[in-house]
Amino acid sequence: MMENGFNRRDFLKVLGWGGTAVALSGCGNTSVEDGRETVNSYVEAADYVIPGIGVYFNSTCAQCDAGCSIMGKVREGRVLKLEGNPDSAINRGKTCGLGQAGVQHHYNPDRVREPLQRKGEIGVTITWEKAYELIAEKLKDVSGEEIAFLSGGVSGHLKVLLDNYLASFGCRNHFVYEALAPAVVRAANKKSYGVEMPRYNINKAKVVLSFGADFLGAWVSPVHFSQQYAQFRKGVDGERGVLIQIEPKMTLTGANADRWIPVRPGTEGVLALGIINALGTAGGDIAALVKDYDKVRVSKETGVPPGHIDKIAALLKLRSPSLVLAGSAAEGYAHGSQNAAAINLLNHVLGNVGKTVEAAAEVPFPQMAPARGNTAALKALNDGLAAGKYKVLFNYAANPIFTAPGGMKFKDNWAKADFKVVFAHYMDETALQADLVLPLDSALEDWGTHVPEYMADGAQINIQQPLMERLHANTRGMGDILLALIKQRRPEDYKSYEDYYGYLRAAMLQNKAALGGGGMDDDTFWSETLSKGIVKLAGAATTAVHSKAGATDLTLPAATQDAQYPLQLIPAVNVSLRDGRHANLPWLQESPDPLTTIVWDSWVEIHPKKALEMDITEGDIIEVTSRTGSVKAQAYLFPGIHPDAISIPLGQGHEALGRYAKGYGVNPFQILDAVFDKETGELAMHETRVKISKTGQRVIVVKDESAAGAKQIRKKIAGRMSTDNVDLSKEV
Amino acid sequence: MSVNNLLENWAQFRHFHPVDDKPHDPYKWAMSIDLDACSGCNACSVACYAENNIPVVGKEKYAHGQAMHWIRIEHYWDEDIGVPGGREFPEQGAQFLPMMCQQCEAAPCETVCPVGATNHTADGLNSQIYNRCIGSRYCSANCPYKVRYFNWYDYPTTDNVWPETMTRQLNPDVTVRSKGVMEKCTFCVQRLNAAMSTARSEGRKVHDGEVQTACQQACPTNAISFGNLVDPESRVAKQWARQQVELTKDKQTKDAEPGGSRLRGYRILEELRPYPSVMYLERVRESAV
Repeated sequence: MMENGFNRRDFLKVLGWGGTAVALSGCGNTSVEDGRETVNSYVEAADYVIPGIGVYFNSTCAQCDAGCSIMGKVREGRVLKLEGNPDSAINRGKTCGLGQAGVQHHYNPDRVREPLQRKGEIGVTITWEKAYELIAEKLKDVSGEEIAFLSGGVSGHLKVLLDNYLASFGCRNHFVYEALAPAVVRAANKKSYGVEMPRYNINKAKVVLSFGADFLGAWVSPVHFSQQYAQFRKGVDGERGVLIQIEPKMTLTGANADRWIPVRPGTEGVLALGIINALGTAGGDIAALVKDYDKVRVSKETGVPPGHIDKIAALLKLRSPSLVLAGSAAEGYAHGSQNAAAINLLNHVLGNVGKTVEAAAEVPFPQMAPARGNTAALKALNDGLAAGKYKVLFNYAANPIFTAPGGMKFKDNWAKADFKVVFAHYMDETALQADLVLPLDSALEDWGTHVPEYMADGAQINIQQPLMERLHANTRGMGDILLALIKQRRPEDYKSYEDYYGYLRAAMLQNKAALGGGGMDDDTFWSETLSKGIVKLAGAATTAVHSKAGATDLTLPAATQDAQYPLQLIPAVNVSLRDGRHANLPWLQESPDPLTTIVWDSWVEIHPKKALEMDITEGDIIEVTSRTGSVKAQAYLFPGIHPDAISIPLGQGHEALGRYAKGYGVNPFQILDAVFDKETGELAMHETRVKISKTGQRVIVVKDESAAGAKQIRKKIAGRMSTDNVDLSKEV
Repeated sequence: MSVNNLLENWAQFRHFHPVDDKPHDPYKWAMSIDLDACSGCNACSVACYAENNIPVVGKEKYAHGQAMHWIRIEHYWDEDIGVPGGREFPEQGAQFLPMMCQQCEAAPCETVCPVGATNHTADGLNSQIYNRCIGSRYCSANCPYKVRYFNWYDYPTTDNVWPETMTRQLNPDVTVRSKGVMEKCTFCVQRLNAAMSTARSEGRKVHDGEVQTACQQACPTNAISFGNLVDPESRVAKQWARQQVELTKDKQTKDAEPGGSRLRGYRILEELRPYPSVMYLERVRESAV
């Protein structure tokens, strides 16, 4: 947001290209680096820079893949705070706690600052020239088939550059890995609706029936969905939306539901078919499919009382359109695809497809579209490594040694590659096992273009630009590194691009007309693009959603019993820490878990009934053992969980990463069995069965919890009214 | 000022709003929080840490109850859940309540401060003057909302609170507090002052929506409204009016209606007569399921 009109040509100067970098770095003789920037010479400052007043620059949040647009408040050469950009259709000026903490990645004291080469057990500082030479040397004698590149989700021009780099030596082994991606749901959506990620109109639904989709917490695009949710609660035509959440462990979304229904883990699909049966409106194939799923059977298998199934069906009939969501709790099984398909079928039966499930806008540049990460990619890489197929391995934006399920033995297989290059922000578990560590710029120092996986209203390309000068002299942007590497292979093609910024600018200008810049001169278009931070694409092509239900041959196994491992382990996704990459941000460590209010630690959620049976009290250290391994953590008695399940949050239990992460809590990834969804080959995150035992030790749980009951000193603290007793129609 | 003098002339030092001789003009900052929209996500709290230079105290001090979160999400569960004889599951979810300084008009914390470090401003804030505070902690003891936070340690010099590079994130508009000082939510007074100063220099009043608190700005569900209660056109004033919550009352007229009010607005612990400046809107739960 550029509130003050300013000379747009100066914009480039500010960011260090085309002139001096005075405006951002303060005095010409000192720099941010040496910490003496408090004495500022503003002799050459840009005319919009006033000492003491923050200037906002637009960029894109890199904390998760949702692609929220942010504005960074920059003052005296430092970025101080991130706010949401109101012009983005995704986040409309809002941010989540995770996004707020982006500045702590940037200023983190534990960032890697120099390229490091392994010499025995230690990393020796080397120069970038040396590092590039080393890579060229290692790649000289290997074929493209012997090289593998593991990355997190990438999109935009970085993906283009990466694809071109890999193609330059004939490598087709790009493994895109995200530990917590909704990959099974994507595949099921593709079958049900014809698109992997449709647009969900929560704000247009009168009832949302969510099977474990934590859309307010950590699912797909939580800030966007939170705003839709607020509209949904205000109501369509004055009728307040009703949220029903079905899941074995209460998520943040579940805690906000009008009705939270605990279901026996893994039987979500059965319940979905039971609801279709109870609706009684389906005909043909679908009626035949659900005819055996009567209330009695469904209730027995899922543990949901028949009365609840009737109520849900009655409400769905009464209030239309509704929206049914399949989330991570439903997809994490060997029959996850079947579960998701059964749940998606409900949308067809209820006639929601085309109303609350719509085709999403697409960016008309397929080569920039996001490479969507999944866990099947990790398995493929792991199998290849185990077979000794890869000699050189690159790793970017992933920490597989931390997030791979223990059952995969990924760390052992990783060691089989001769030369491992890790592009890293921190010395995390994976970087520690590298032969070469290349330090990256923070997201607030780097350039980039991003195409979000989940598109809100229209298609958009997000721009990422530096909000301040490099904090550390020897870090580099990923784009710059890739450009340097590709110049080793194809110097002629890339020689005209001095750096990634130059490449990006040229690439954007080349498509100026298609990006809405037709008729503008290059400089105007470019500074316009940077100052907005978003390129909105008008009239982007869309693929229509299927209005007819897809295949209806579903096989849903009944829940199994296992006498040796009687409990289902639910690895919970924490709103802030996600797959663990944010564990070194102190604000997030000290931000209480939304449901248990526990800070700085892991815990085992167990239903009070089960705890009573096993004589477990809060704070008892529990050993949780699966077929793959065991962890020990404090018990927390939590009524929002199915008594046949326990839950441990993901993200903690680091052995490296940094001072705020190392040594706190346990890592449940380590005890996950390597079980996969039969259709997609995705890791079945919820299929691990465990047994628990008391260790005899006990601790005081560190948490922020208030007393039970919404009253104190017999006065109302947190009020709650029933819809019968409230008049919402006249509210502001 | 001797203690005798103070006691004799108490009335003139003890000045609380609202009083007729000094009405709020032109500003009275107030808030309303819709608990039906609040999802309990904690974005507000992290945004507050970022804006207001709040120290992260670490696990050990957190365990001692020394967390400094100016805005915290309180959690409430129905009392009969998960206890013998009670219901098995929290089927209506949890209740979340963002709790921060309520900027009381007759603040219990103000009257007990021996040095007048906390007092009422003309625009209706409960202010804290750090360099006057001597750390008696009486204010904290007297606060019914427990939203005052004491610096038990000198956080700027404590290991790993703001190590080397982290110091550069500190907001220059907000003081970094030192040991022995009480602190609390200020309604982002630095943002208010900047907005009021700009408005004053342009010869106008602050527009509604011109200034946002950090928590409000972040809130993904727009649960928090903030503005000037004196301006009848402001969103917050309209909300207060529509909910029939009056700043100057300790018992709202609407609550006396037979069968209870159908309006959601209420203030916490209003009966204690602190006249809080934050109105909450009750959470709503569907009766049909």
